[in-house]
Amino acid sequence: MLESIVHVCLAGLSTGMFIWLVASGLTLIFGVLGVLNFAHGSFYMLGAYFCYTLLGFLGHNFWLGLLFGPLCVCVVGFVVERYFLRYVYHLALPYQLLLTFAFVLLFDDLVKVIWGGGSIGSPTVPGLSGSIPILGRNFPVYNLFIIGVGPLVAVGMWALLEKTWWGRTIRAASSDREMASAIGVRVPALFTAVFVFGTWLGAMGGGLAVPYVGLLTPGMGEAIIIDAFVVAVIGGLGSLKGAFLGALIIGLLSSFGTRFIPTFDMFLTFILMAAVLLWRPQGLFGEAA
Amino acid sequence: MGNKGITRRDFMKAGVFTAGAIALGPGVLKPIGAWAATPAIKGPIKVGYQAVMSGTLAGYGEFHKMGAVMAMEEINAAGGIAGAKLEIEFRDSTLKAPEAIKNARYFVDSWGADFLGGIDSSGQALALAPVMKELDRILMVTHAATEKLTEDQVFKNGIKQVFRICTPTYQDGNAAAFIAKDLSAKTWATVSPKYEYGYTCWEMFKNTLGKLKPDAQFTAESWAPFGTTDFRSHINTIMDASPDGFYSTEWAGELITFVKQAKQAGMFDKIKHVLLPVGAAMDVLEGLGNEMPDNIWISGRYFFQYPDTPMNNDWVARFHKRWNHYPAYVSETGYSTMYAFKKAVEAAGSKDTAKVISALEGMTLASPAGDRVFRKEDHQAMYEVPWGLTKSDPKYPFKVMGKQVVIPAKECFNRPPFEGPGTKPPF
Repeated sequence: MLESIVHVCLAGLSTGMFIWLVASGLTLIFGVLGVLNFAHGSFYMLGAYFCYTLLGFLGHNFWLGLLFGPLCVCVVGFVVERYFLRYVYHLALPYQLLLTFAFVLLFDDLVKVIWGGGSIGSPTVPGLSGSIPILGRNFPVYNLFIIGVGPLVAVGMWALLEKTWWGRTIRAASSDREMASAIGVRVPALFTAVFVFGTWLGAMGGGLAVPYVGLLTPGMGEAIIIDAFVVAVIGGLGSLKGAFLGALIIGLLSSFGTRFIPTFDMFLTFILMAAVLLWRPQGLFGEAA
Repeated sequence: MGNKGITRRDFMKAGVFTAGAIALGPGVLKPIGAWAATPAIKGPIKVGYQAVMSGTLAGYGEFHKMGAVMAMEEINAAGGIAGAKLEIEFRDSTLKAPEAIKNARYFVDSWGADFLGGIDSSGQALALAPVMKELDRILMVTHAATEKLTEDQVFKNGIKQVFRICTPTYQDGNAAAFIAKDLSAKTWATVSPKYEYGYTCWEMFKNTLGKLKPDAQFTAESWAPFGTTDFRSHINTIMDASPDGFYSTEWAGELITFVKQAKQAGMFDKIKHVLLPVGAAMDVLEGLGNEMPDNIWISGRYFFQYPDTPMNNDWVARFHKRWNHYPAYVSETGYSTMYAFKKAVEAAGSKDTAKVISALEGMTLASPAGDRVFRKEDHQAMYEVPWGLTKSDPKYPFKVMGKQVVIPAKECFNRPPFEGPGTKPPF
């Protein structure tokens, strides 16, 4: 029984941290720019495909692929923000959703044109590919790695936003655009930078997903984006602390749900979301409107 | 206006002349060739084909297309169907029932389709059956497997417009049970898709194995919703139960992910007997490559190494040359569908729905998968598919079937309550 509980916990932790990696960029972009970016799942997908493709050119070194793949996606993110999204900031939310959703369809088709419609089996990472026995049962090393990376990203983002000059500027610009620009902050450029950074986070999630889900498919971003949205809503839209906690709860809940109450595992997440929203409509760490 | 362009009068003259020529054509120009005697068939023969072309299973649409397009090219190069050209239009079914119905209506009402083909999900197939009756066009199902389509809709409800060329859930549930009865495993568990297909197959597997081997026990089941990418908690359920045998109808990308994660968790070291009824799909074998463990029982709706006949071997070679792929099972069913239509239309001497239905009923079709017989009562094609144990082969960059076992279709295909010539295939 103990080994079962431990393994269910580990599975839940790795699921949760994985969702967090994707949700962090989504939350950051919403928190600063106020844009609900549906295309974030596409950046995740592009991150995975670019990482996979670069692996072929870089002598199958996963770490080089992970370094350069997401950087390529940043270029895509830059174009999307600078030449499209920037023109709908002042419009109602549905316009942003429509535009970003259009990009989802566009990127899905683009991936099919370039990489084909089939699924691509992904390579394993040397050094992280095996599994180690924990209480008589194997657990993949790569999942332990993900469990470790999640909190590191969280601490890194906290330090960036709370401890650096850049972070202070971002916080200033997101709470009052006009005042920030009046005192000389180049708000449009700053927003582009934040969007590109958010894109990079999503693409990193995709790159890390290559060995994690073990498979690349067109449309792979659509499944994860739902989880990321749920996490962002539970945590409070725009709150990184909330998204981290939300991802942890969702991961563990789904793992325990699947193991012990399999009939309802699909609903558990949404029951939790409904409960949180009834109790705190703004989410766990959201600010009341 | 001068000489620059044709005048309105010239245009009218040309139009009248063309129309006259078309009207007189069949009478003036004497039909020649083998099909001179069948003026009832006016070409082209149009087939509306729908498959999933977006989302995570988009690859299946491509596989369907490869087979269907290849058949169209061959048929047209060899003179068409009864002398008429074959045309296919493809549409994305998106795996959703309303979309499938919309596509079918578009094909028939707007595009003028004579026949329909495709369909990946059982839900779509069941939703389409009554629509096919209303549209009065034949639908050849090439992938969806639910036995309710043929048993309930065709046999009980009398919707004669629906046929199925691929193996149904009998192959995934019953045939698997025939394989399992000879294994030493007593306790069985499953991780399967959390929808109709997964439930039906596991139920069928349990019932049939329970009859064939009364001491078999079924100790754990875990259901993975569509789109699952993280199977670790499901794998935990199985590891907790530690059964002797494991059965899973996970398929496509989800099966690839599942096998990788189960391997990491050491599941295949602990459970020796593993049955994957859809494991011999090309996307799964190519996707897993060397990561597919050895000695796993796999099967599919068709596997390119079976049967070892000149027809199949030639076809696989031609297919590989044309697409640089080994044929997936939906490529074979898509390909053979076009030949089934060809044979039936030529036998009926017409593309009229009722006449082609009678031609298809009980018809034997020689196909790459071997001889198929369309059972008259329920329109289910009876043919055989091998089960085999995975092994490496230096000729292929993926695992293939080692030991091959064939469970005769007449044994493992359900026998709905009817008798007749169609139920006794010439195997």
